[in-house]
Parts: sequence; structure tokens; C-alpha cells
Amino acid sequence: MRDMLEGSQAIARAVALCRPQVVAAYPITPQTHIVENLSKLVADGKLTTELVSVESEFSAASVALGAAAAGSRAYTASSSQGIMLMSEVLFNIAGLRIPLVLTCANRAIGAPLSIWNDQQDSMAVRDAGWIQLYCADNQEAVDTTIQAYRIAERCEIPVMVCVDGFVLTHTMEAIDLPTQEQVDGFLPPYRFNRALDPRRPISIGTLVAPEYFSEVRHANHKALERAIDEIEAADRDWAEVSGRSSGGLVEVLGDPEARIGILTLGSATGTLLEALDEYPDLGPVRLIRLRCFRPFPFEALRRACAGLEQLAILERALSPGLGGIVGTEVRAALADLEGTLHIRDYAVGLGGRDIPLSTLPRVLEALAVPESERFRILDVNLEQLPEEDR
Amino acid sequence: MTTMTRGAYALPGTTLNYHTGSWRVQRPEHRHRAAPCHHACPAGEDAQAWLALIAEGNRRAAWEKLIEANPLPAITGRVCHHPCESACNRSQYDEAIAIHACERVLGDEAIANNWRYPVDAPSGNAPVVAIVGAGPAGLSCAWHLLRHGIKSVLFDELPQAGGTLGTAIPAYRLPRDLLAAETGRLLELSGIDFRPLHRLGRDISLDQLRQEYAGVFLAPGNQRSREWSVDGVTPRDLHVGLDLLKEWVSVGDVPPMTSAAIVGGGNTAVDLARALKRAGVAQVHVITHQTLPRDHVRGDDAMSAIVREIRQAEEEGVTFHDQRGIRRLMLRGERVVGVEMVRMKKMVRANGRMERVAFEGTETVLHVDQVIPAIGQEVEPFGMEPLLHGQGAFEVDHWGVVSGHSGLYAGGDARGGHGTVTAAIGDGRRAALALVRHIRGEAPPKERLEEVIEIGQLNLHYYEHADRAQEPLLAVGERGLDNEIEGSIETTGADREAARCFSCGNCLACDNCWTLCPDSAVLKTTELARDGSHYRFDYDYCKGCGLCAHECPCGYIAMGEEV
Repeated sequence: MRDMLEGSQAIARAVALCRPQVVAAYPITPQTHIVENLSKLVADGKLTTELVSVESEFSAASVALGAAAAGSRAYTASSSQGIMLMSEVLFNIAGLRIPLVLTCANRAIGAPLSIWNDQQDSMAVRDAGWIQLYCADNQEAVDTTIQAYRIAERCEIPVMVCVDGFVLTHTMEAIDLPTQEQVDGFLPPYRFNRALDPRRPISIGTLVAPEYFSEVRHANHKALERAIDEIEAADRDWAEVSGRSSGGLVEVLGDPEARIGILTLGSATGTLLEALDEYPDLGPVRLIRLRCFRPFPFEALRRACAGLEQLAILERALSPGLGGIVGTEVRAALADLEGTLHIRDYAVGLGGRDIPLSTLPRVLEALAVPESERFRILDVNLEQLPEEDR
Repeated sequence: MTTMTRGAYALPGTTLNYHTGSWRVQRPEHRHRAAPCHHACPAGEDAQAWLALIAEGNRRAAWEKLIEANPLPAITGRVCHHPCESACNRSQYDEAIAIHACERVLGDEAIANNWRYPVDAPSGNAPVVAIVGAGPAGLSCAWHLLRHGIKSVLFDELPQAGGTLGTAIPAYRLPRDLLAAETGRLLELSGIDFRPLHRLGRDISLDQLRQEYAGVFLAPGNQRSREWSVDGVTPRDLHVGLDLLKEWVSVGDVPPMTSAAIVGGGNTAVDLARALKRAGVAQVHVITHQTLPRDHVRGDDAMSAIVREIRQAEEEGVTFHDQRGIRRLMLRGERVVGVEMVRMKKMVRANGRMERVAFEGTETVLHVDQVIPAIGQEVEPFGMEPLLHGQGAFEVDHWGVVSGHSGLYAGGDARGGHGTVTAAIGDGRRAALALVRHIRGEAPPKERLEEVIEIGQLNLHYYEHADRAQEPLLAVGERGLDNEIEGSIETTGADREAARCFSCGNCLACDNCWTLCPDSAVLKTTELARDGSHYRFDYDYCKGCGLCAHECPCGYIAMGEEV
């Protein structure tokens, strides 16, 4: 049965279905509604969990870390500056191989201060060692949240579920929430075999000397690589339960045979799909959606890009001084195709800038220019800047 | 090759892996040091130890601890001059612990409840030692022999045990039923055979004893008064102090006199003075070379009598003339009409020796009709002549071995030089220990020399001032012949006194070391460790900061050099 739910509300309901034993979060726009809805579920007696009011995102992440380390399924959520404040803990959670799930309601990072959407926050912590899954819509956010717990707990790697702030979190959508039985059948109770236990004391977060640090990093890296299979398996198995796939690692939409492709992440996928309908005369376009950004799905990406002659990457973040973050990585993954594949990289929708349907024809037009810049921010109105800063 | 755990957690995962004890240059150690009371006790009692048991609420265990040294606590609690209290560190803080009063409480309680002596009957073929004299020394020797499984036969010329305790100590100081009760309990023990009305040299001979018994201990006491005269002059009707005292103790009367001057500064002199007062003598004077003690503090050359007895005698009207000698007897015919006294003082002479000096021009006259010397007694040599070589006391070593006579021991007043009940008890104990070794063919035990702890080695910040328990005293008007003058502080008083004890040199179980150790390197155990404290040092983590040693109230923790 479908319910008309705000994205945040749907995510909160999905989290509740996963029976977290500890929820700790600090409100920040645009994540606030998720936590509010979880609080309401607790207040209404529909969710039994230890809801911890903390005083900062650092504490929120720390409580979640401690709870999961002590053997409780834990959840937290944040955005933007909150992700920045908890970044130290995020690295610790991953390094300690603590399984938990965090929803990142993607938002730009200041300065300048912006409450609106882009993906600079999750991209800034892409090297923390977390699995990052980017959701195209709220149904996917629901399904991915449930999958995320299974992935995290099987791999002992934390999972960050990225949903575009406002675009998804504050948008009403008809959501097919799974039943509790479906979720319980898919997601077994949390068992953590390194759980802290006073009867068998262990010390976590210890000093590791140089002779072992490289080995620990190797183990982390390999664990992320091996998580590829669990991510695919979770999506496949959940599809059997729910009838819905969330796109696995990389989803190919539009014309799979097209020689021109556009690659993006998150909610821009829906915009581009609609634009394909809006502009049918543009010719065949292959729409590639990168759902899993960490671990980086080299093989799946290469398969999705097979036969392309031109590829435009649309991303909602950038690495100043380098260019696109996603684009740089995609380019590296497809490096052996260079010469036959023309790749251009565009940052779009920064700080809440709208991505209209007309983005599609403008991107294709820009892509067609052979000598154009490898990367640029689309839609920059230079007249809004002082001359010396243009 | 160590395998890294997932997430790099550590086992066992505690800072206990860091053995900070390796930083230590000094190590705290429990160092038992003798409390001054223990060191000072002629009987060898460890008062600190039994006071600690009282403080723990176990008076019976305290009594058992006490009688490890002294089997006559009800008696010594009354008559001992308690050098333990003079030595008590607490006397430098407020007032000494009333150790003698606590001892008396334990002794009385043991009699009242008929507490069993913790000793087994010796085996039938156990060696037997002959003891001559059933006074404190003989009784003590019998007791300590029994503790080591050796039987004894106690000979005494009197019909009852106790020796001088019964013949020369007035009943107002030592009630006779109490004396009979405590000695009687001891004599009932299997392994001690009391044979009264046996006199050495008359009923038994020394040679016979030496042949028939595994060892012999002589404790006959001093039964003969020393000769006394002033420049060779003695009054015709001279009465000797100890004889007069014995007469009064046994008959309850003395020859008629209206005034008397007793010469001497010991307990016999004071006891006799009080006895004469009770017998109705109007003026009783005590003349002594020595100095009257002041404020419980016994200065150099102080009277050897018990201070509280002197005080009570003064209360009862006895006049003391201290630092006085008798220059001349004033006679009418051969009867005394008075004495001329002169001031005397012990001074260092040119040759470096201390000597009594008479001060010319300080002569005073005292009119009395009796002069009674109480200047001490010596051994009656009857039956033991070959051992004494004409001396008034036995010549013995530390263990009581009579010089030149292996297996023959002597102690008590007869060894000379002290003349206290407690010293006699100590003599009996030492002789018994040596006899045990002698019978086994072993050398006498080694003398244990233990460091005595001084008040400066205690941390007094942890003690509060508290008044000493006062035993009730009969008012002067109520004091008669038999009424015991001093009362008991009772068990409540003993508990209070035990709580006042500083526990010098021994663990007080105060938890200071355990609480204050910054490294939690003092472990508290539920059972007593071998060294008598509840605490152990965890040398894996003790950095040797010395805090525990500094904060130990009792001086029980010492910092030793780390080797």
C-alpha cells in the first residue's frame, strides 16, 4: 500500500522498520524532519529505541559509534556543517569497522552559508572509509536505508545513505513502505561479534604503530572493495522481497545503446529522465546513474559506459583547483578509453541552484564542442561577480 | 607474527599493560616496629596487639593474646607500675592509654566467664620441671612451660600460691578472692602440679630436684630484709618494713605506735605507710633519698613506688620527705624519739660519677617513736647456699641461667635488680623458653631486638584528642582495710581506650594507603595478609611516590631503597 509521505517522514519510517536500538542525532536543516519524525514515532509508541538527545553532531556520531560497538543497532543523520563536525568520528567509525547507518541530507557547505542542496558535504568525507549510496528518489531512500543495514552489518563497514536535501527530504512522494515482516525477514537482528562486554574487556581505538598501520589500511580498503558484492546482493535480494530494485551499483537508463551518455548521482536522475521525455528530438541518450560512489564500482561503470563516444558528467560538488570529483574518478576509471571517448565534466545545482529540464539540451550542446574545458561549473553568470573575480 | 584484529582493538585492552612499577626507585614496605608499650613491658606483653583486638570487639581474643606473655592480667592490671604507659607515645600527645586498666578488664572478664586457657594438656610422658616458689615468676614459668607441652611441679612453703602478692600487697590494692581466683584457675590446669607447704632445704633438697626433674627454676623471692643502721646504730625495738607489712596483711594489726618514719622509696615503703595509717598511726612519714614523681612523669632518680599509690597515700595523709637522708638517730636510751634529716641530692662528682651529696645546714628534726627501714630485701639462702656465694641475689644471665649451673634457672625478686611483679612474670617466661630449649638439647633462643617506633614516626594528623578513661577511686573516708580502692573502667572504658591507641608501628586498617594511593597500587584484601595488615602493594604499578608511607598514621609503612 502506498502512502503519501514527505521524504524525511518516509526515511524515518524506514529507519523505524529496521528496529534501531539507539538513535542519536542533532537537528540541522535539511535533516531535521527525519529526526523529528523519529522522535514522533517514539513519542507515539510506534518505535522502541533509546533516543539520545545530544548537544552536537560530534556527540551524535560518537553515541552511535559507542552504541553499535556495544552491540546495538544504531542510527544517526546529519547534513552539511553537521557532517563536517562529525567528520573525525566518521573516520573513527569506519576505521574501527563499526557497522551503522547514517542518512546524509545533502546540503552545501559554508562559507558562504547556504542551507540548500548540493553534495559537497558527503563528497568531502568520501575518503572516510564509508560506503556511500546516492538515492534518486524517496522510494529509493526507503529501500536503500533498509539495504544499508544489511550491507553495513555483513561487511562491518558503515553506510552513508545520501539524499538530496529539500529536493528529496522535503518533497511529498507516494511511497510503498514495506511491512515489518518483510524487513524482519530481510534484516536479521544485529549481532556484533566484537561487541564491548565488561566480562571480556577489549580496548577499541588503540594506538597502532607504523609496523601495522599499513596493514590496517589495506584491510579497510579491501573490505570496501569486497563490499561491492554485498551491495549488489542486498539490492537484488531486497528486490525479491519488495519487487523494487534501487539500481545496484550503476544504473543505466534512457537508451542503453546510445553513443552519447550523461552520468549523474542522486535526484538529478529524475530531472534528466523527464528532460529526455521533454526533448525527444535530441537523439538517443544513455543516462548513467552512479548509485554507489564508495566503493567505486570500476567494473560496473565500465560496463555501463561500453560503446559510448561522448560522456557528460553532472555532479553537485567540486574539488576547487581540480574540478569535478566524480568526473575525475570516472575519467580515471575509463582512462584506457581516452582517445575514443570524449568526456566533459560539469558541476550543476550548487548551493540549491535549480537544475531545470533545459539543462539536458545545454549540456549536450556544450559536450559537442571538441575544444571545450574538461570541467566547468554550468550556468555561471559572470556578471554577478566583480570583474577581477570572474 | 601477531595478527592485527579487525578494527585494531586490543586485548586485554587496559592500561594495566603498562607496568609503571618499573619507574620506582623506592618501594613501600610494611615494616612492623615494636610499639613502645611492648618494648617497655618487663613481662613482654604486646599491649598494642591486644588493644587492637579489643578495638575489633574481640576481648576474648585480646585476653588470649595478652596471656601469651602474662598469665596473670587481673593481678598485674592492679599492681603493675605499668612502664608501658610511661612509654606510651600517646602520653606526648594528650594522655597515655590506660593500659593497666584495660588489662584488668580483660583479666576480670576471663575470671568472671571462666574463659578457657588456650592450651592443651601435656602428654603423659612430657618432661617435668621443678619450680620453687609459686609467686608471679613461678606461676609464669609454669604457664609458659605448659604452653610448650612441658609439665611442672610448683613447690611453695606457704599454703597458698601467690608469694609476695598475697603476703605483702594489701588487699585494698589486690583483693584476696581475686588473687585466689586467678592463681587458682592457673593451678587447675592439667600439667601444673602445685605442692604447698614444701620448703626448700627442709622438705626437699636442691640436689633431689636436680636429679628428679628435667630442669629447675628457682623463684623463692626475697624473704630476708637487708641490714640497716645509721652509722652502726640501730634501735633496740627495730621493726623491719616488709615484716611489719606482712604482719599487717596477715594479722591486720601492727605494734602500737603514734608516729613512724619509714625509710625507703619503694612500694613496700608506701604500702606500709598506708597500712600504718589504716592501723591508726597518727603521723606517718616516708623519708627517701629519691624524688617524688611529678604529674605522672617519672624523672631521673624518682621513687620506684607506683605513682598512683604515692598519690593515694598522700590523699590518705602520709607525709613524704623526698630527697632526704637520715643523718642521725635520736635515741632516748635505746628507744627512738626522732630522726635528724638532711637534704640530699644525686650529683655528678669530679670523678664523673653520680653520687648522693648531703647539704650541710639543711638538717631538720622529725619527732617519731618508730623508724622503720623499708630499703629492700634479699634472698634467704637457706637450702641454696652454694648458689649464692654469700650474695643477696642470684647471678643469672638474660635467660635466668644461674651462673655456672646449666639447667638451673632463677628469676623473680631473687634475681635482684628490679623487684616488680611484671618483671618476675617476664623472668618466668624467659626461663621457661630457655628451659624448653634446654630440655630439647638446644641453645637458648636468640634475643629478638626489634626497632621501637617513636612518636615522630607517626602521622598525628589522623588522630583526635580524647581523654583517658579514669578508673573510679574510693573516697578517702571510705577506704578501709579490704575495700579495693581503684575500680574498673569496665568494658566500655576498655573499648574507648583501645580506640585511642595509636597502633604504633602496626596496621590500624584505616584504609589511608588504599584510599590515597594515586595509582591504585594498594590492594585491599578480605583476609589478613601474613604481615598482619589487610593491604598489599601492587609492585607492578606502584611508582614509589611514598604517599602511603607519609599518610600512614601508624608508621607501619616505610620506604625502602629499590635494589
